[in-house]
Amino acid sequence: MLGLDADRLRADLNRLLAFLFHQGILDEQYLQLQQLQDESSPNFVSEVVNIYFHESEKLLRNLRSLLMDREFSDYDKMGIHLNQFIGSSSSIGAKRVRNVCVAFRTASDQNNRAGCLRALELLEHEYCILKNKLHELFQMEQQRLLAAGVRYPMLN
Amino acid sequence: MATMHRVVQSSVSTSDATTTSYDGLTSCKAADIVISDQFPAGLRVLVVDDDITCLKILEQMLHRCRYHVTTCPQAKVALNLLRERKGCFDVILSDVYMPDMDGYKLLEHVGLEMDLPVIMISADGSTRAVMKGIRHGACDYLIKPIREEELKNIWQHVVRKKWNENKELEHSGSLDDTDQHKQRHDDAEYASSVNDATETSLKPLKKRSNSKEEDDGEIDNDDPSTSKKPRVVWSVELHQQFVSAVNQLGIDKAVPKRILELMNVPGLTRENVASHLQKFRLYLKRISGVAQQGGIANPLCGPVEANVKIGSLGSFNIQALAASGQIPPQTLAAVHAELLGRSAGNLVVATDQPALLQATPQGPKCIQVDQGVAFVQHSVKSESSSSKHFSQSFAPVEDVASGFRSWPSNNIGTAGPSNSGGLSSQNGNMLIDLLQQQQQLQKPQQRSTVSELRRSINVQPSCHVVPSQSSASFRAGNSPVSVTQNGSYSRTAVIDYSLLSSQSNCPSLNIGQVSDVNLQTTGVLSGYIPPASVSPSVSSCSVNADNCASQQVQTSSMTFKASRHLPGFVHSTSNIPDPYGSTKSGDLLNQEPFNNLGYINKGTCLPAKFAVDEFQSHLSSSSHGKVFSENIGTRVKQEPSMEFGDNAKVGIPMLQQFPPNDLMSVFTE
Repeated sequence: MLGLDADRLRADLNRLLAFLFHQGILDEQYLQLQQLQDESSPNFVSEVVNIYFHESEKLLRNLRSLLMDREFSDYDKMGIHLNQFIGSSSSIGAKRVRNVCVAFRTASDQNNRAGCLRALELLEHEYCILKNKLHELFQMEQQRLLAAGVRYPMLN
Repeated sequence: MATMHRVVQSSVSTSDATTTSYDGLTSCKAADIVISDQFPAGLRVLVVDDDITCLKILEQMLHRCRYHVTTCPQAKVALNLLRERKGCFDVILSDVYMPDMDGYKLLEHVGLEMDLPVIMISADGSTRAVMKGIRHGACDYLIKPIREEELKNIWQHVVRKKWNENKELEHSGSLDDTDQHKQRHDDAEYASSVNDATETSLKPLKKRSNSKEEDDGEIDNDDPSTSKKPRVVWSVELHQQFVSAVNQLGIDKAVPKRILELMNVPGLTRENVASHLQKFRLYLKRISGVAQQGGIANPLCGPVEANVKIGSLGSFNIQALAASGQIPPQTLAAVHAELLGRSAGNLVVATDQPALLQATPQGPKCIQVDQGVAFVQHSVKSESSSSKHFSQSFAPVEDVASGFRSWPSNNIGTAGPSNSGGLSSQNGNMLIDLLQQQQQLQKPQQRSTVSELRRSINVQPSCHVVPSQSSASFRAGNSPVSVTQNGSYSRTAVIDYSLLSSQSNCPSLNIGQVSDVNLQTTGVLSGYIPPASVSPSVSSCSVNADNCASQQVQTSSMTFKASRHLPGFVHSTSNIPDPYGSTKSGDLLNQEPFNNLGYINKGTCLPAKFAVDEFQSHLSSSSHGKVFSENIGTRVKQEPSMEFGDNAKVGIPMLQQFPPNDLMSVFTE
């Protein structure tokens, strides 16, 4: 019954996606990413998302270290980091992460350190959610592909 | 842009759109992929963004549009790439905020040096940021996230830019199609020696879509048998004879054969006369076009006035540049000296030419023209500290002047021809001289193209004397602007009137504009090459060096400009006292969406409902600077308890922590 599993997995996958869209964790830009995936670049989405994770974690570490510094005053630098974070998050469709970044940037614009700290924690939290969900998505996609790869022998 | 029309080295199907990631290692294979009939496929795009995620996404999207993509995460590397491979790219996509160089600065550099359309991209879509981009000359401003549909349309900026250039040139009549066809047989000689670099002077004038047949025509005219003709030196006397013959016959009736008979110069062939006549005609057309376009009754005054305007701008810019400390005081002084007409600098001489040309009886106007080009000259000087170059060109001034005045003044067109073809050869000569000066200024680029130019000049009969000393001292230098780029050649072919129009349209002084203006000015200068003694050509060459030097000009102007603008990320610097206290923070948060999240005092209150308490502790531990990846790992472990189905239940109470607002309205059930 592997074929049925494939269908069930696809249904689960769609449901997960729908949930993520509904929750605002992802938006239609993610669909654009999916559309960019084709035969010539079959793993495009996962590649891009992995790059995003890698870069984002760097950014989050930088932001964290900036804010942890007692003498921190370089809000400009933080703003630059945030700009990149906003750009990359919106480019992959990570809507909630992006929104938190925008709020973070506003706090940074106002040199509001406490606000920045709070925003950072919220950002880290949202990022975790996103990462977990996307991992889940990719796992399901893998399983579905595996399941769909199985074919029943043709009945004579 | 020129390479779109350039003879395709190897035909490649559009499906071969490749990506080259330039980290300074790989090379751009632009020459391989040029398909003009499948435009806009094959458009060569350079993407510059420090955000690797966006870079990858854009790359893929552009692939989808069947463009040829080169990515570059660093602005400086991208700029070097552009400089090294001029003509390799059609359009540039650049991020605004980059660590090593401000995107606006890159935009300025590109706009001034290469005149390629630049599209800015940024996550910041505020009106202020977009306005800044426009002010810096961006063709477009895209806001992240970028959709594929937006990228599909970027070709329009390339075409629009080209067509605008075409329009200017068509108005000038320097490349009138009818002229081309009429004199195509005459072009055999002149076209045969046209190499790729000079060909590009014609190329940018053609619309991309119409390029094919014209390109074929050009290629057909490349008759190898004529490429070895001995050069004819159009000396002053010779040109005078020519002009008098033309006047005798009447410009409309002047055919090469009859001119040849009238001139009665042994050794002169009909082809020599024909090509000279063609250049002459184009020059006349350009001059008359200037008068018409500029709306100036007195044709003599027209170009001069245009130059005067430039001059005023030039002076301004010089001073502005000086003020910004970009220009050493001695060069500034030298420029001023030139302005006063005391000494003839490189530019001054060249600028004098058109002025003298059109206003031989009007001596004083020469000075005004000087001012116009002095700016460019100035920039050249600012870079080349050696004064010997200047001294070289000092001498010829008088010669040039005398040469000019000796011509009959009844015909403005006594000046030499100034068609694009003539420009190419003459520019080549001038460029060569310029290049040797530029050698000191910039690292040499495109030596091969320069040497090509040189060959072409030697082969082609021109009215421009190539001084032996300049040839001897010629060194391959930087000639991206003049040689291989459509931009510079087309600029040089642009007539004065465009200067006028640009002047009138843009009253606000723009250094970038001025440099364009100056390029055009020098284009006029180059258009007319006085068949004088050796030294004038040197001076005129050096004058036109500013084409090459435009980089310098632009650099200096750019630095000046840059100093005026806020670098990088600008944010409001309202000083809010550091509110560690909860009340204050609450106030601050009121201004932000944060408040709406119910995220009042404690950073950790948020995830309270997020299933597991340990999660919360992880969050607080994260605030102690733990390695983030660890946190994620642990958090992932928390996740399994939250099945996909359970998420729906858990999510809702969590969501309720975030009362719906503009940001989170999606959460409303």
